[in-house]
Amino acid sequence: MRKVLGNKQAIALFVLPAFILYTIVVIAPIVISFYYSFFSGTPGLKWEFVGMKNFLRLFGDSRFLDALIVNLRYIGFVMIGQVGLGLCMALLFRFWLKRFKNLIRTLMFFPVVLPTVAVGQLFAKIYEIQPNYGLLNSLLANIGLRHLVHAWIGEVDTALGSLIVMDIWAAIGFHAVILYGAILDISDDVIEAAAIDGAGSFQLFRHILAPLLRPMIITCLIFSFSGTVKMFESAKALTGGGPGNATKSLSMYMYDVAFNYNKVGYGSVIALFIFLMCIAGSTVIGLFDRKEDL
Amino acid sequence: MKKRALATLMSTVMVVSLIAGCGDSTSGSASSATSTSSQTSSGSDFSGEDPKLTKHMKISTIWAEDNDNGVLINKIAQDYKDNVNPNFTWEYEYIPSADLTTKITTLAGADDLPDMFAYESGKPIVELINAGKIVDIGAELKRIGSSDYVTPSATSLLQTLSGTNTIYDLPLGLNIEGFWYNKALFQQAGISAPPATMDEFEEDLKKLQDAGIQPLVAGGASGETWGSTRVVNAVTVRTLGNDAMKKAAEGQAKYTDQGYVDAAQKVADWAAAGYFGEGINTVTMNAAGQMLMNGQAAIFYNGSWFAGNLNSEDNAAGPDGIGYFNVPVVDASKSGATDYSMNCGNILCLDKTKYDDGTAWFLKYFVEHIGDVAMETEGTVKGYTYKTQASEMSGYTKLVLDEIGKATGAFTWYEATMGAEVSKTAQENVQLLLTGDMNGQQYMESIQEAFDMAD
Amino acid sequence: MKTRPHKKIKFHDILTKVIIALILIVDVYPIFWLLTASIKKNSEWVEYPAYALPRGFYWQNYVEAWTRGHMATFFKNSLIDTLVSLVFIVIFSTTVGFAVVKMDWKWKSAVAKYFQIGIMVPVATALIPLYQMFLKTHLTNTYTSLIISYVAFGLSLSIFLITGYLRTMPNDIFEAAVIDGCGIYSLMWHIVVPMMKNAIVTVLVLQFFFKWNDLLFSMTFISNSELKTVQTGLLYFSDEFGSKNWGAIFASVSMSILPMLFLYIFLNKAIIEGMTSGAVKG
Repeated sequence: MRKVLGNKQAIALFVLPAFILYTIVVIAPIVISFYYSFFSGTPGLKWEFVGMKNFLRLFGDSRFLDALIVNLRYIGFVMIGQVGLGLCMALLFRFWLKRFKNLIRTLMFFPVVLPTVAVGQLFAKIYEIQPNYGLLNSLLANIGLRHLVHAWIGEVDTALGSLIVMDIWAAIGFHAVILYGAILDISDDVIEAAAIDGAGSFQLFRHILAPLLRPMIITCLIFSFSGTVKMFESAKALTGGGPGNATKSLSMYMYDVAFNYNKVGYGSVIALFIFLMCIAGSTVIGLFDRKEDL
Repeated sequence: MKKRALATLMSTVMVVSLIAGCGDSTSGSASSATSTSSQTSSGSDFSGEDPKLTKHMKISTIWAEDNDNGVLINKIAQDYKDNVNPNFTWEYEYIPSADLTTKITTLAGADDLPDMFAYESGKPIVELINAGKIVDIGAELKRIGSSDYVTPSATSLLQTLSGTNTIYDLPLGLNIEGFWYNKALFQQAGISAPPATMDEFEEDLKKLQDAGIQPLVAGGASGETWGSTRVVNAVTVRTLGNDAMKKAAEGQAKYTDQGYVDAAQKVADWAAAGYFGEGINTVTMNAAGQMLMNGQAAIFYNGSWFAGNLNSEDNAAGPDGIGYFNVPVVDASKSGATDYSMNCGNILCLDKTKYDDGTAWFLKYFVEHIGDVAMETEGTVKGYTYKTQASEMSGYTKLVLDEIGKATGAFTWYEATMGAEVSKTAQENVQLLLTGDMNGQQYMESIQEAFDMAD
Repeated sequence: MKTRPHKKIKFHDILTKVIIALILIVDVYPIFWLLTASIKKNSEWVEYPAYALPRGFYWQNYVEAWTRGHMATFFKNSLIDTLVSLVFIVIFSTTVGFAVVKMDWKWKSAVAKYFQIGIMVPVATALIPLYQMFLKTHLTNTYTSLIISYVAFGLSLSIFLITGYLRTMPNDIFEAAVIDGCGIYSLMWHIVVPMMKNAIVTVLVLQFFFKWNDLLFSMTFISNSELKTVQTGLLYFSDEFGSKNWGAIFASVSMSILPMLFLYIFLNKAIIEGMTSGAVKG
């Protein structure tokens, strides 16, 4: 037994290739980023050691701050929307819908399978105002809400919101299906017992479902967080970061800095910042997990 | 024959005027890289027959193979292989224009530039020159005896843009920019002639709006806002002079000086008055052009290359429905009616490390034939001499050539003197200027801030 | 209790229908609109409101998208990049997962933790150094660059899911198999893999969507249009067609989603089961 499961050759074969690949491609770049962050310019082109200058620059850079704020707002709203609405959907399936359950679940998962850029292109057309009204504006104009017609993704006030709506739309199905699976795992007896005890819907949720679903909700939050913290694809496809930089995320700003402005060092500082933000966020979400275990 | 005469006339006029207009080279920045050809020239003689050297070239441009200059470049490469050097091979790569500077600078950093590649004149090419990455084409053309094939006007424009007294790039066009207008809409609004002064222009905008017509349109969608900064540029230059942007880039003026702010504010005021219509920030250059032709908007700022779209059968306004006028004058002593925004479009550079006699022979063939090929296949002028006549020139093509002929001075586009960071800021924030989220002052401050942060 | 008040049932019924209708409108209508819009002529956009149904079937849009829009190429590339990556991700994550959970060696929990770090590394952090590495090794503009990145960045979460699932499996089965004289490799292939079917499906589904949706890597490492993926291809679509050609844009977008929809309809049971009962419960 020990011999088979302790087979050194097999362990090496199982672990080493992945280990090496992972080390070079995922872990080493963090170290290299750190090294880069002390330089200005692009490797091979005006590459100079500048000490802490890049780190100090971060604090005086208003474009960085703007991007950070956009990114945080995006994370907050999208996470609440995706997981909150996903949970509502899941509860709806379990307690409200009697028929068509599978059909609806299938349909609701549809947007999840669509490529992000395709969704972006689709929504760009939905929100379009020039040269022709897109779906949303033409509907609004024709049902007498002419005053609500907007350049949805062309105005600072609405661009981020439009993006958030799109990203929530695209991922509700994913969270709903996962959470629905978790709800199904709660045995009917528990729920019925609570119902017999006279618990109302809200109490049922608060005292029975919420605690039981907590691990899964946290999993969903982590998925949602890791998807939103990197905010790039959907914004790039829908708004390109505009208008101005109203929808420009940290990743997009980092991309500009490193690849358009040729400041690989400063770009690396922003990249490291995103990494730290990721760790901080996951830690905070993880805290919820532990706190309730006490 | 008439056209050759025109071209020659134009060249002579422009050599004189452009240099006077934009001022000679400054920064002196490029001096470090001027000694180019010494390592490549092995004293070979380029006057005789092509020695049919084996050569593989990688050519990267922003035009798809079946589009625009892509057709041209591939045709010339194919002709060269078929007619002159069977040992010549090439691979052609398309880079989306939005990625061009990114890709090229990183490739330059890795010393892995393609043999020949499209790039942007102005600040971007200056950085490559300073880093010593590209061939001094002026010197090379002299060495291979083909200098005369690039027109003097194109040469002087390119020299001005790179601030050098030789050229490091090959032109792929000789363009003017200005306002295109829909004649029918002008008539409808009771405007008899296109405006010559800025005051007339603003009156016309008002008249158009009163007639229920959207007066202006420009590229305003993310990534295509250069269409809008050009409008700001037009106002800036006409009020401050042809070298206004250059002065700011060199620190002789600040972007936040009153004149720059006022110019930006003027465009913001037009936007606030509703002249740009709904949702200007989502309008692409293409959509804007379409709106002009369909009669959805009256005036559109674009370059002479737009004549290509106008010539197409899709042009709802027909072969004579669209007119052109140069940027209206504010103060003729600063920038006059015959001063045009001019450029050579995207240009071609040659990588220095990969440059050898094989490339030189191809270069020779390229500059000696592109003028004719462009005239034969597209009826366009690329900045090279040509012998043949286009079979039939459309009204729009002729209009452009006539306008170019009138030029006595030139100015460049808004971002020509800006580094990537400043340029991107100008292009991103112009959207906010158009929505009223920034006023002229704030807009110019954001540009100045990017400028201060840039190094 | 068997017969509830008539009124309540009716109310419940109507509300259910309203909810179903809402979900349908929000989730399906945009896609339906997209598909119908893809067969509209360009002139229809000017003449009728955007929500109008197409007046006929204008398939030319699809021809344009497929040929001029290079959708065929993009598809091939996306498929190659994604499928090859998935194969490696599944192999690596099952082998590493098994080694880390069920096998006996000194560093196994440390290695498991080490792999977990990657869950928190955003793609953006590694982008700049990776790009420099690929430039130096001349791997930009190759399938290899994307596959390497996809696999490496898919490992952490996949291994995490697999280990979570493996921990719930009793050891007796493996012990029994070993006593029956089963070697480690055949144990892996004949016992472990079939038992982990659900977890593997989950990994496949999740990673498929992640990889298929990648834009950051592909737009950074690939500039050659012959090697572009669907995502990068679509991003620059309006450049190719000009924004006025809505038909071709819609056709291209439709084309990019149709295979996903078919694949999903075909596999939806497995996918949803994998998602609900599978190993996501980490």
